[in-house]
Amino acid sequence: MSWFRRLLLVEWSGLAAAIVLGAIALSFIAPNFLTEFNIYVMLRSLSVGLLVAFAQMITLGVGQMNIAVGALGGLTAIIFGATMELYGFPIALAVPVALGIGALGGLINGLLTVRTGVNAFIITLATASAFTGVDFGITGSIPFYKMPAALVAFGDRHLSAIPYLLVAPLIVAMGLGVFFSRTAPGRQLLAFGGNPHAAELSGISRERVVVSAHVLSGLLAGAAAVLAVAQLGSAQPTIGADWLLLSFAAPIIGGAALTGGHISVLGTMFAVLLLGLIQNGMVLAKVDPYWVQFVLGALILAAVGLNRWRAVESGAA
Amino acid sequence: MELAIESVSKSFPGVQALDGVSLDLKAGEIHALMGENGAGKSTLIKIVTGLLRPDSGRVLLNGRPVAFGSPRDALRKGVSAVHQERNLIPRFSVGENILLERLPVRNGLVDYGAVEREARRYLDLLDPGIDARAEVRSLSVAQMQIVEIAKALSLETKILLLDEPTASITEHETAALFKVLRKLREDGVAIVFVSHKLEEVFAIAERVTVLRDGRNVARGTLLSEMTRQTLVSLMIGRAERVAEIGERRIDPARVVLEARGLSTERGHRDISFALHHGEILGLYGLVGAGRSELAHAILGAERISAGALLITGRPVRIRDVHDAARRFRMGYVSEDRKQEGLILMHSITRNVAITIWRRLANAVGLINPRSETRAVAPFIARLDVRTPSLGQIVGNLSGGNQQKVSIAKWLAAESQILIIDEPTVGIDIKTKTYLHELIGEIAREGASILLISSDMAEMITLADRILVMHGFRLVGEVVNDHRYETTSKAIMGCVHAVADFEPAAAG
Repeated sequence: MSWFRRLLLVEWSGLAAAIVLGAIALSFIAPNFLTEFNIYVMLRSLSVGLLVAFAQMITLGVGQMNIAVGALGGLTAIIFGATMELYGFPIALAVPVALGIGALGGLINGLLTVRTGVNAFIITLATASAFTGVDFGITGSIPFYKMPAALVAFGDRHLSAIPYLLVAPLIVAMGLGVFFSRTAPGRQLLAFGGNPHAAELSGISRERVVVSAHVLSGLLAGAAAVLAVAQLGSAQPTIGADWLLLSFAAPIIGGAALTGGHISVLGTMFAVLLLGLIQNGMVLAKVDPYWVQFVLGALILAAVGLNRWRAVESGAA
Repeated sequence: MELAIESVSKSFPGVQALDGVSLDLKAGEIHALMGENGAGKSTLIKIVTGLLRPDSGRVLLNGRPVAFGSPRDALRKGVSAVHQERNLIPRFSVGENILLERLPVRNGLVDYGAVEREARRYLDLLDPGIDARAEVRSLSVAQMQIVEIAKALSLETKILLLDEPTASITEHETAALFKVLRKLREDGVAIVFVSHKLEEVFAIAERVTVLRDGRNVARGTLLSEMTRQTLVSLMIGRAERVAEIGERRIDPARVVLEARGLSTERGHRDISFALHHGEILGLYGLVGAGRSELAHAILGAERISAGALLITGRPVRIRDVHDAARRFRMGYVSEDRKQEGLILMHSITRNVAITIWRRLANAVGLINPRSETRAVAPFIARLDVRTPSLGQIVGNLSGGNQQKVSIAKWLAAESQILIIDEPTVGIDIKTKTYLHELIGEIAREGASILLISSDMAEMITLADRILVMHGFRLVGEVVNDHRYETTSKAIMGCVHAVADFEPAAAG
């Protein structure tokens, strides 16, 4: 059994196994699972989720939380929609503006956290409410429907089963992989997450690290919002309302330490895939959607349990 | 009650921590347990109290084998331990901490009057000055240690295991602790006493068990039949060596770091000194004298309220440690390596390279892992860090090796001014000698060192001059002639002169 134990010690091994087994099982249960169209639909809905998960993964890496991911996503989405529908911005201008709004929201979170010394959980809990308020205040909860055709087309197009939308999170994933393993700011971010005090006394600037983590997190929440608008074909003020649970579930299932200092890009991606698979499978099997919530909760508990076991086995506990 | 440990073995991934270790403890004795860091003392204590399970061997209580599933099981049988790690709840009162799992209750509510009275009984044995109602976080480290011991006493302990109880307390408090231990011994309590301080062991214990690399090299040997030298050579496997610091060239004309009338928001008043190129300047004082806080102020981590700080003759304002490291090539080896020095969950490579990542990055900002390893490896080799690989998680290293990693990162950063805070607290004799020689070597290579220590012998071995700090002021300066008698007398003279003058500021 030792090879099996060793395999379990690799972070994403359990996930990969679950995905393969799940896919095999689904292809038997639901004959339409392995169709090109179904896989396209599944991957398309995953694209937004991947960016949302990455947005939270970054704040987890620095040992903090961003409760405002969804709220910031919603605000960015309607501003993105408004600039195009009301002000006639071309897509090439509206996208950078939207990303800028996301980053700005992150900057506000980061600066408030650093300057007040208050826990980011509280700060982002408050800004989440504020962002949502602005979101609904501007729109009166009425969506923007007239999106440019090119944007909607981008949201629909696909190359066999691969949606164009998936390209964005894949590029971001590669970028984050390099950022965390190969660049000084990325390493410093994780070092700070691992032990803020020691990192600071090693000459790492607390302010710079925390603010940049929140800016990156906001930027990715903004990017997720842009993809969500493209996918839905309209800028809904409710975009982001259901992101929070997934944003924590995926990085944690993927092996991130809640206390900071350790994250896994690949693990997070596998986790999003697994969650998408479960959701898709339950829809195909016509299971009551409420049970999807239950399964998600059970899965988080199982993943945390496995992480704990891994920590004890490798002597890190 | 008697405790017998019979050929206990325990291994962790990659390490055989204990290999057939035995120890027998009689009622009414104080039994010293000694060995270098990583010899397995703490592991042994954790096995006895049920925190770890042995791979083989057994623990017997009054001749009957026991296997405690948890510390709670052990406590119920009268076995308790005071570990090196603090196990107190900071925001609870001293009394609540002492009586935590059996708080006295009246009418369904906690009876705080009874908590205080009950806790008082045990505190009075140790240190009547500690307020049972005070929050634990308001206490000094030494007082917390006393509270932990009071907690163990309150459990009607028959077997008491003390893992380095005196590592962070003053001589005065140690004397008080010893009085209590002797009284407990009279009452028939069996005590295992772990310490690196030989004087203490000879003063308090009757017998000694020595571990080296997880094996017994002495088992219950009478201390009266041993000398200091035989004990040391048992622990380190050869005769003790005196650190060779060697000659250094100090350039009195080159002042690298100077403080002029520095005052801080933490309470330092009118601090002035000069650190010369290649010099080791000692900063002596007892715990609580304000030494580490001064270091933090110099590094920009504490607010300076008046006075000036000069680096190579120019007045500077240092914003934070980041600024100190980058602009002025300053480094700080913290007193608390676990909390402030290292990222325990990360590898050796990352912990050392943390100071040089920006330098290692290429034109587009990428770090090549191979060049990172190449930059780190020489320091790990030079400092003789014992590890299977550079990828090893720092949390798995022994204390001495962790301290080496903590120093290595500043060597890698080519620090010109190094503030080293209590470099050898809780570090074994062999590594201590090594670290002393290393500090001498760093200074010889041209770095200037501000050495903070409350270890008198360490000061006298290493420092060129010694500043004496008391109550957040500098109260004297002693030129070190490297003779223990004269220099220690001069230092204590400085401390006592002010302490007698204003006893309220003591501590």
